[in-house]
Parts: sequence; structure tokens; C-alpha cells
Amino acid sequence: MNPLELTLGIMTAVGGFVDISELVFAAKAGSTFGYALIWAFVLGTIGMSVFGEMSGRVAAIAKQPVFNLMRHRLGLKLGLVTLMGSLISTLITCAAEVGGMALILNYLTGWPYPLLALLSVIALIASMWILPFKWIERTYGLLGLMMIVFAVALVAIHPPWAKLAGGIAPQVPPGLSTKELLNYSYFIVAILSAVMFPYESYFYSSGGIEEGWGAKDLLTNRVTCTVGFGLGSLLAIAILASSAQLFGPINVSPEIPGTSALEAATPFGKAGLLLALLGMLFAVAGAAVETCMSNAYAVSQFFGWEWGRHAKPSEAPRFTVAWIAVMLLALLIVLTGVDVMSLVEYAVLFSIIVLPLTYLPLMLLANDKSYMREHANRWLAKALGWLFFVVVTAAAVAAIPLYLLTSGGGG
Amino acid sequence: MSALANIKIVSQLLDLPIIDKDERSCGIVDDIELSGAAGKELRVSALLVGPGAYEGRMPRWLYWLTRKIAGDRMARVPADQIVEIGSVVKLKSRGETLGLHKVEDKVRAWIPRKGAL
Repeated sequence: MNPLELTLGIMTAVGGFVDISELVFAAKAGSTFGYALIWAFVLGTIGMSVFGEMSGRVAAIAKQPVFNLMRHRLGLKLGLVTLMGSLISTLITCAAEVGGMALILNYLTGWPYPLLALLSVIALIASMWILPFKWIERTYGLLGLMMIVFAVALVAIHPPWAKLAGGIAPQVPPGLSTKELLNYSYFIVAILSAVMFPYESYFYSSGGIEEGWGAKDLLTNRVTCTVGFGLGSLLAIAILASSAQLFGPINVSPEIPGTSALEAATPFGKAGLLLALLGMLFAVAGAAVETCMSNAYAVSQFFGWEWGRHAKPSEAPRFTVAWIAVMLLALLIVLTGVDVMSLVEYAVLFSIIVLPLTYLPLMLLANDKSYMREHANRWLAKALGWLFFVVVTAAAVAAIPLYLLTSGGGG
Repeated sequence: MSALANIKIVSQLLDLPIIDKDERSCGIVDDIELSGAAGKELRVSALLVGPGAYEGRMPRWLYWLTRKIAGDRMARVPADQIVEIGSVVKLKSRGETLGLHKVEDKVRAWIPRKGAL
């Protein structure tokens, strides 16, 4: 294991962990419920680490990405249902990321939102065309590290650490009305969905294949999924905690992503604001690339096309057409004028419904000794896998009723 | 070979990715052609690849929709081309010689070859 590669891998995972949905829900959760929802981020991150590690291990040992093996496990019909669900939820997520980029650029430049969405998509397509996989992943992941300003800003505003630590334990805040309790439950579901988006495991496992992972990379996989994802999640928790400290007491509800950037501006002024906005921009841009490529990976793997960006675009032609088409469709959705926050709501809603269908075949594959040999799931991975499968299934069942009852967390 | 063993082979093969001798993806085992008759030995004679092989594997309305979108082309890969069956099916020839890269090559003609690192 090359220590430089490992460090870069971890840093990329940290910078690439946060996306527009986490930004929005972390800030809203903090302002609405104080520190009480930190545990939902912790729970979601453990779940993401468990399934991320499994998908990376399957890629390294079976040398096949999730969607190839999923179709073999689920069969054509159920596989198609999963594929369609994943494509729709990930396309909406991609549109939310593109819209988020345009919004952040709008704060920075004041230029019209539709023009910035178009320029964002042109820049994203150009970067994906020019750069090979490793550099696409690293460029956005490392630039997203500017988000660390949120963690530093949290330390600078001296939050009540004991109260903050108390948020790690699962809890229901006392004295909530029925309406508030439903809202709190909706936030739990939304946070779990935002942290465990299905595209993350498709992208991660396909990335493992792109980089030619084998048994020697299992430790890198494990460290990236635990340390990298864990540290990445701390950034989201820092946004939540700063929001609880700064916005909660004055009843400010951060309805747009730009409000979160004020958390860094409070202790560090203009420099903090700029760093926060740039960090958010690159983190969201990275997520736009990941969602776009995930859809192209999914459809290419399901139908057995040539795929991957380790090779030149002309060497995987249908894959290339697929990712360009996904990006253009995402732009089209944004240009219809649909609100970014609505896209974020739809993205988390669709994704949580698809999650159980994504994770069950993955878990069965990782359990299967005929594919995984001595690297098949052991008792801890099995137990955690089934535990989180139950959690995401319960969240998937509760998602639509909670969305309707709370008008999407609006109360 | 027993009928049960044959069924096991079919379920093992169906929906597996196919790669050729150069490790290039060549599609998925969309259906399997069996030869034999009642009371006689049943053999896998070919792998069928392409949307044309979906007929019978999905509801009629969905197959109609798939045909409208993706056409009904289908390539037949003789069973003697199979080298190994694992998490993928490995072939002993190149995909082109078996007609498995037709669409990929057609689309490739439209993709610019400049600018990418």
C-alpha cells in the first residue's frame, strides 16, 4: 500500500463526501432541532461505510461492479426495475447538484442563474472529457477540501461541546408536538438518504474497477470507507452544529445553500465566506460528476457495454454518450425553472425508496463465497449489513407518508 | 448430466457479463439456446446476446417498448466459444468476429478522438 496514494484517497473521500442535499439538510436540521440530529449523520455514515466497503471489496475481488452482478442476482425484470429507479433518482440528484452549482456561482458573480447552469454543465463535460478517472476524482475531491473551513469555523465560534457530543446518541427531543415529531422523523429519513445515496456505492465500486483494484487494495478500501467517509461526515456535522449555534437561537431557517456559507463568514469574514462558497462549489461539482457518471456506469454495466473513463471516450463510446446525455438531461431539468430545493427533496425521497433494492443484492454478493472466496462477508459485516438493510427499508417505507404529512419537512 | 445440473448451468449463465479474449465487454447473456429433446440429453448450444433475446423474458408490452427503443438485434455465440464461467463468461475469440461489437463500433464513429488525456 502506497502511503501517498492512501492519503490522497482519504483526502479525496473527505472532500467528495458532502453534496448539495447534505449541505441543505445539515443546515436545516441544525437550525430546527439544534444538535439532536447529529446521530442521524453518524448512523448514515456508518451505514455508508459498511456498504461502501462491501461494494469496494466486491469490485476488488469479483472484479465486477455492482450493476453487473446485480442483474445476475435479481434477473432481468427486477433488475430493470432497480435500474430505472436508480437512474431516475440519480438523475434528479444530478440536476440538484447542477442547480446547486449555478446558485453558488450566482452568489459569487451575480450572473443569471440559467446562464450559470449552462456554463457549469459545459465546464463539467469538458473536465470529464479531458481528464481520466483518477484526476476527475482527485481534482474535485481535493478542491472540495476547502469545506474544512466549516469545521474550523465551528471551533472558532466555541460551541457547547458537551451538548454537541450529546447529539451523537439517538434521541427524540423532549416536548415536541405531533407535528414537530413528524418533522423530526422526516429529517431522520432525509439525512439517512442524503448520506447513503445509492449513486455513492455505484460510483465507488466502479471507481475501484477503473483503478484496477485487487486483493492488495482491500486495506485501502477499508481505510477510505471508514476514515475518509468518517472525516467527510464531520464536515456535514460541523455545518449542522454551526447552524444550531448561529441560526437556531434567532429562528433563521437556512432555506438556500448560500446561508450555510454565512457560518464561515461569522468568525472569518469575507475570506471565510469565499472559502466556504468555493468549497461548496467544488464539493457540489464533484457530486454532479459522480451522479452523472454513476448513471452512465449503471446503464453500461446493466447492458454489458464497454465502460470507464480510465480509457479515452472513444474507447467506451456508448458509455460516453450516456454520461453526456445524463448531464444534458440534468441541465434540461434545471432550465425548466424547478426550484433547487424541490429537486433536493425529490432526490432524497426517490433515493431512499431505491436504497433497499440497491443494497440487498450487494450484500448477497458480498456474502457469496463462490464470488468472494475468503473475502466474503464475515459475521460483523453480515450483522451490520442486515441491520442497515432493516434501517433503510424502514426509512423507505416511511419516506412518502412523512413527506406528504410534513409537506417535505416544511411542517 | 442430470436435468437439475442443466438448470443450474442455465441459472448460472443467465444475465452474466461476457468478455472477449481481449477482456473487452461484449454484452450480457440475455438468453440461452438449448439443444436436445424430451428423453434426450439437453445441451447449452449457444448464448444469445442483444435486445432481441428479451422476448419471453419480460412482459409483452415492455418487450414492445424495448424493441421500439433498442431494436431487436441479437447475436448468437456458440457454446464452444466459452472458455470460462465465473463472475463473467470469458470467450476464446474477439467480440468483433462474433458480431458482438456492432453497435459499439457504430457509435464510436460519432465520438471525437481529440482532447482527452
